[in-house]
Order: sequence, then C-alpha cells, then structure tokens
Amino acid sequence: MFKDLLKTHLFPTSWCPGCGIGGIMAQLAMAMDEMGLNQSNSVVVGGIGCTGRMAGYFNLDSVYTLHGRTLPVAQGIKMVNPSLKVIIISGDGDLASIGGNHLIHALRRNVDLAVLCNNNEVYGLTGGQAGPTTPQGTPTVSSPDGSPYEPLNLQGLLKTGSRYFYARTTVYHQVHLKRCIKEAIQWPGFAFVDIASQCIENNGRRLGFKTGYEMLAMFRDKYKRAPDGVESLAPLEIGLVKRGEEQP
Amino acid sequence: MKRLVQGNEAVFAGAVKAGATYFAGYPISPSSEILLLAAQQAARSPDFHFLQAEDELAAINQVLGASLAGGKAFTATSGPGFTLMQEAIGWGHQAEVPCVVINVQRVGPGTGMPTMPAQGDILQSQYGSSGDYYPIVFYPNSVAECYRLTVAAFNAAEESLSPVVLLSDSFVGHLNETVDLEAMEVEVVARQRPPLGTGNRFFTGLVHDEEGRIRTADALFYQSWLGKVREKRDGVAARYPFYEHRERPGHDLIIAFGILSRVIAPLLDDFALFRPIRIFPPLVRELRSITQEYRRVIVLEANDGQYAQVVEGIVHRDVIRVSVVGGRFSAERVTTALKQALTSV
Ligand SMILES: Cc1ncc(C[n+]2csc(CCOP(=O)(O)OP(=O)(O)O)c2C)c(N)n1
Ligand code: SF4
Repeated sequence: MFKDLLKTHLFPTSWCPGCGIGGIMAQLAMAMDEMGLNQSNSVVVGGIGCTGRMAGYFNLDSVYTLHGRTLPVAQGIKMVNPSLKVIIISGDGDLASIGGNHLIHALRRNVDLAVLCNNNEVYGLTGGQAGPTTPQGTPTVSSPDGSPYEPLNLQGLLKTGSRYFYARTTVYHQVHLKRCIKEAIQWPGFAFVDIASQCIENNGRRLGFKTGYEMLAMFRDKYKRAPDGVESLAPLEIGLVKRGEEQP
Repeated sequence: MKRLVQGNEAVFAGAVKAGATYFAGYPISPSSEILLLAAQQAARSPDFHFLQAEDELAAINQVLGASLAGGKAFTATSGPGFTLMQEAIGWGHQAEVPCVVINVQRVGPGTGMPTMPAQGDILQSQYGSSGDYYPIVFYPNSVAECYRLTVAAFNAAEESLSPVVLLSDSFVGHLNETVDLEAMEVEVVARQRPPLGTGNRFFTGLVHDEEGRIRTADALFYQSWLGKVREKRDGVAARYPFYEHRERPGHDLIIAFGILSRVIAPLLDDFALFRPIRIFPPLVRELRSITQEYRRVIVLEANDGQYAQVVEGIVHRDVIRVSVVGGRFSAERVTTALKQALTSV
C-alpha cells in the first residue's frame, strides 16, 4: 500500500488546506509503491520551503537540507551509494533561485537524480514573494505592480546538454503526473519534472481564486497534452522531452 | 619511510588514514594541494570519491550528503570559501552529520592579500554560522601534527556527530618537514551510524528531538536540547586535550599557535610558551592554572586579538595583545612587536 510509505500519524500535514503539494506527495508515494521503492533502496531529499517539508512525511530515510542545497546533498549521497534511488522534492524558488547554480551543474554532470519541482510560481513559505518562475506582470507581495521580469525558461535550461529529461505536468493531471514521476525515477541521468501546482494562500487568493480547487480547474482548462515524442513543449503543454537515454 | 612531506599533503594522508572516502572542494590557495591530492587518489582508487564542486556552498553540502550516505567525508578551503561554508556547517551541527572542514587561513577580509598567511578565522571557526553551536577546532603547527590532528578531527567528528574544523595557515600548509607518516601510530574511530537507505530517519536542520520529531515551537525543549548539545561536545573534546607547554619560571608567558608558535622558537629561552592545539572548546582548566604561574601573559596571533578575547574571558585578567598582521612573520618582526608591547605596558 502506498500509504505505508507515508508517516500518516503526522497528518494533517503542515500545508494549507487546498495546497497542491499534498497531491504531489500522494502521486510520488503511489509511484514509489508501484516501483518497489522503500527504506532499503531509496532516499527522499527536500530543501527548505513548503514543498521540501514533504521529505519528513516519508517512511524512509530522508533529508531536509538547507534552502537551495538539495542538489549538492543528493549528489554527495549518490556518489557514495550509486545504488540508492535519490528523489528530490522541492520548490521552484529553492531549485531555480537560491539553488540555481547547483541546478546548472547537476544537469551538466548529468547526475542520476529525479528532481520533482513544485512550481507554484512564488515563494510559498515566506509569504508569496516573486521568484524566478513568476510570470511577468503577476502581482505578488514583493512585486505589487507585477513581476517585472520574464520567468526562467526551465525547459530551455534543462535542454542545454546533449542528454536531458524534462517533463512538464500539473497536479490536476494526476495520472500524467505519476507517469512523469515514474519515468523520471527510471531515467538513467538527471531528470527534472516541472509540476505546476497551486499555492492558494500566498498566491492564488491575490490572483482572485477562492479555493484550491478553482486553481486546479484552471490547470485543467489551460494545459493541453503535447503529442508523444515532440522535441519541445509549447507553453501550457504538458508532456515530456528527453534525449540520450541509450548513452552510458 | 622518512621523507619530505608538505603540511597540506600530511593533512590529506591523515584523512586517508582516518578512512576518508569522499572529498568535494573548490580550488582556493593555499589549500588547493589537498584538492589535487584527492583528485589523484580518486583516479587511483575506486573506493575514493572526488568532486570538484561548482562552489563552496556545493562542496560542503556534497560532503554532508556523502557523510549521511556512509562515507567519511571532508573538504578543504581558505577564508573566503570557509565563509561560504558556514551556513552548512551550522546545518551539519543541527542535523548531526560528521565531517571535517579544513581551513588553510590566508589574510582577509574579502580577498585580502592572497595568499599570505594569517590567523584571521579563529573566531569564525567557532561562531561563523548562525545560532549557538559548538564545533571542535584543532590547529597544528608542524607536518607531523597536520597528520595526527586530521585523524583526530575525523575521530572527533564521528564521536560528536558533527563537523569538526582543522585550522591551518598558508605557512603550516606549505611547510615541508621530514617525517615518517607510515610509522606514526594513530587510532581510528569507525563509523557507527548506519548509512542512508537503511532506516526511517529524518535528517533535518530544524530543531528536532531524538525520534526526529520537529520541535520548532517549544522554548524549554530548545533550552534543554542546547545544554545537551554542549555537554556532548565537551565530553568528546575532553578526549582531545591537546596543548604544548614549555615552562620557563620567572619569565613571561606567550600564548601562540600555528605559524607564530614556530616563528618564536628563537625566543623561547626568554619566554614560556603555551600552545593550545585544541583551539575550541578552549582548554579552560589548563589556561587558568598555567597563566597563574606567570606575571605577564602575552597572546601573540596573526589577527587583531581574536584569541586574546577568548583567553581574557577565561582567565579573568588582562593579557598583552600582540598582533602581527599582514602575512609577514620574520623572527625580527615578531621580536620587535613583542618588545614594543612589553615596554608600553
Ligand atoms: C539562506 C536562506 N535564505 C532565505 C530563507 C527563507 N526562505 C525559506 S523558504 C523560502 C522560499 C520558499 O519558496 P520555494 O522554494 O519556491 O518553496 P515553496 O515554499 O513555494 O514550496 C525562503 C526564501 C532561508 N530559509 N534560507
Ligand atoms: S503557503 Fe502556499 S505552498 Fe505553502 S502550504 Fe500554503 S498553499 Fe501550500
């Protein structure tokens, strides 16, 4: 049972009602359960943020690193014990802003890690400030007139090398989300899953959403499936792009 | 076999002797020899892992991950890199991760005077990260000691389950002396904690109890937890009460360590020497009793009085502070500085 992988005695979790993170946790637990991942073969690593706290809810060895440092910690783990499946779960701010340099270099080294990035377009834990993934023009607590910058192109960044795995999905598309997670864990190299999810309390309400469900419905309506095998995902397409699996 | 060995090389040999299997680092003089030796070791031995990190933030966090995964792990750096590592050193104390951080000091702040020797990171080695935490710090002054104390640092890290700091300086790191490392007998403390992937533990920088439960809203828990952390550190440190005392009754006492304790060798007919080798936690009992035997106590260091503050706080009397800064430490310069300080009191 996937629930055995979770510390259900610690529930309710620390997340706000209606937050998207719980949906990612459920799909990750199910994916791991189906893949036979457990205490003896896997480790979950989270970095500071609402998302990273997920590490502490797994019934296996887990690490809650400093803000931004999931990737180097995971790389140290992987080098010493390559047989462990190391799954990283963290926020977009953690991975792409304060940890951005590590992202560039972990993908350059093609470290065999599965990175699940909860992309809620803001810094959730600290109150909803703009971050590297905030769409230009979006008002946040730290960008009252709208975020002035273009967001980071995560897909473009992930595809700079000759080998890559980039998936984009949402918490609404649960079946797709689980498939992406599984493929990422199986991918023999650096795999990055960019998961659109809702921060209702520190982002959604400011944008006019009343509930987390309204935000999920927005993902349902806005995102479309990309055809299998595309080379590049168009904006608002979910799917995955990968290259170089056969290389050592 | 006796041969000429460099300080940094002896540090690396000590790490290997202690069972280190992982090094991550970012190049910075005067510590880079350690990184290069680690790269060579990894090329020779499949059991040794080496990573040239993208920066020092990565290096120390890679070391922490490697340690959790079961490897004895270390990094080496100098002032600017040591500063970048501070947050993670604090995390290592909170999450209880053994590792060794070597800081071959050079003149700061900032880029300073690359790469002239200094002792400017004494207080940083103890207080550089946020909050209260209690790192054990050693400071050798010879090639043989670089070897022995690196082994001791790994042992103390295992026993205290925390990052231990080995301070050096560009003089000690680049010193060449004839030693027979293979003939030196050292004890090695084995890894006790099972590696990641064998249990159901939560390693976190959040305050937590022994079962790994988060305790971030309980002041009284924090207070008793902090007391226990300190007690544990003191208990481990007590096994490493390293110092050198050259008695000279009727003369003044110089307290010095690292490079300066070598430079003053020609003066030791006229002065007594107390050389703390375990810099932190300070050797309180020894400092109190030994300083009592001398009328005047001089703390000689290559910074503006950092350890003097520590000593004064322990011995409850004024010491004469002699700072020799800027990276040049000839015996003449040090003698002049000492004379000036002694005639002006
Ligand atoms: C070095 C450091 N700087 C800042 C913070 C404060 N901080 C904690 S979480 C966070 C951002 C969280 O955003 P994200 O990574 O996107 O995760 P989310 O909370 O949205 O899941 C920040 C800035 C910190 N803990 N450490
Ligand atoms: S602040 Fe946002 S991201 Fe954090 S738990 Fe609440 S809804 Fe979720």
